[in-house]
Amino acid sequence: MRSELRLDGVGRRYGIRGPWVLRGVDLAVPPGTLVRIEGTNGTGKSTLLRLLAGIDAPTEGRVTGRPRTACVPERFPPALPFTAAAYLTHLGTVHGLSRRAATRAAGQWLERLGAAGYAGTPLARLSKGNGQKVAVAQALLAEPELLVLDEAWTGLDTEAREELDRAVAERTAAGGAVVFVDHDPRRLAAAPDATYAVRDGGLHRRTARVPAPEGPRVVVRAHGPHGGAPPAEALRVTASAEEHRPGHYTLTVPASHSDVLLRTLLTAEPPWHVASVHAQEDLR
Amino acid sequence: MTALFRYQAALLLRSQRWLPPVVLYAAVLAVGVQGGQPVLDSLGWAAAVLLPVAAWLVRICVSGEPPAARGCVAAARGPARAHLACVLVALAAALVLGAAATVVVTLISAPAASDHTTRVPPLAAGASGLLAVLVCALLGAAVGALTSWPLLRSPGRAVPALLLATLLALVATGSPARAAVSGLVTGSRAGTVPLPLLPLGAAVLIAGAAFAAACRLSSRRSA
Repeated sequence: MRSELRLDGVGRRYGIRGPWVLRGVDLAVPPGTLVRIEGTNGTGKSTLLRLLAGIDAPTEGRVTGRPRTACVPERFPPALPFTAAAYLTHLGTVHGLSRRAATRAAGQWLERLGAAGYAGTPLARLSKGNGQKVAVAQALLAEPELLVLDEAWTGLDTEAREELDRAVAERTAAGGAVVFVDHDPRRLAAAPDATYAVRDGGLHRRTARVPAPEGPRVVVRAHGPHGGAPPAEALRVTASAEEHRPGHYTLTVPASHSDVLLRTLLTAEPPWHVASVHAQEDLR
Repeated sequence: MTALFRYQAALLLRSQRWLPPVVLYAAVLAVGVQGGQPVLDSLGWAAAVLLPVAAWLVRICVSGEPPAARGCVAAARGPARAHLACVLVALAAALVLGAAATVVVTLISAPAASDHTTRVPPLAAGASGLLAVLVCALLGAAVGALTSWPLLRSPGRAVPALLLATLLALVATGSPARAAVSGLVTGSRAGTVPLPLLPLGAAVLIAGAAFAAACRLSSRRSA
């Protein structure tokens, strides 16, 4: 049973008489949830993420139930005397992997993010985007139970952004929690389980369903055992599910979650049959 | 903890920032120690000079890791443990340096007291020198931990504080480092090999308290 990270009455200020950056924050991040944090610049989003990631301790209040955590910082410095692969292997072992598993995971993640060709390049010589890929890979390679992303998409190329979207979907599908900040309102727009806004030093849950600007979607036609409903995990990631004949479904899913949906359907007991997968026609 | 230690050690070694303190240590030893001098005197010098070197190494390890990279490690293992690994790697580096110096000094020095006639057994002298090195490395690391991030953040204050604290640790009455070093020097005059166990115990306590304070603060102070 994975623990739920809880913040109870948490406040944080820098210095003994500094102003409170955050105060009275109550937040629970149950396993398997995707949480979006919003707020304008300088409101304390990064401070909240540092508390969630365990990098900072709260000045007042309590943080309980810390799971295995990884974070992608806002600005990743290339000023480390390692090659990309060596750094990732070190971080993999720090995250608790064996040396061999860390080396393998480092290679896999660099490849997934399209930076396999830079494995042997010193970090100091990487471009900003490739440095950010290393920062993202560092957080993902040990499959953390809590992933904290502070504008992790910034600086990545389109393919790597989409790969990170899919990686986030994978983490939540595997029961991990993900907390993220991103200035693009379309980022994982259809997916968050909860959205909070940091405002005036406090945290406010956004309850009103603002019509989310829709990102690209994928339509999956699948049929299962006679008359059966799709597995619950599949329904969790779909935006809509339509049954047009008994057991025959048309499932619409955010593009970032299509792999998760297919994996869930194909590995269900008994497995579902996927009849077709295609990108949804232009929505406008 | 092993993985953290390896990561920090690799960071120190590959950054090559260890080079200046090591060169300084070698240079100061070359000036103060010559072949054929009384062994205990020379060992006292080797131990005393190690104290600022250890403090400097801690400063290098602590400030060598950019805050964002420190954040990645702190998220994985907790900021206190990440900081402890950092300080312990610097202490280990100082001990390796001090041990190597002790071996060389013991081999090239005359196994005699200050009067050049009373014999001092070289093996016992070397062991005593190692203990003094341990005391000075611990105290130097404590000074380094207390005068760098997270306790003192601006270099304008941290570096003078480090120099002043180093000086105090070497000359102030009651300092374990002073006790260990002067033990070697008076031992050399008397022709007896001291066993600085009391200073060692005090140094362990001081270093432990300093490390604990620094690690505790590492999650409470921003970069």
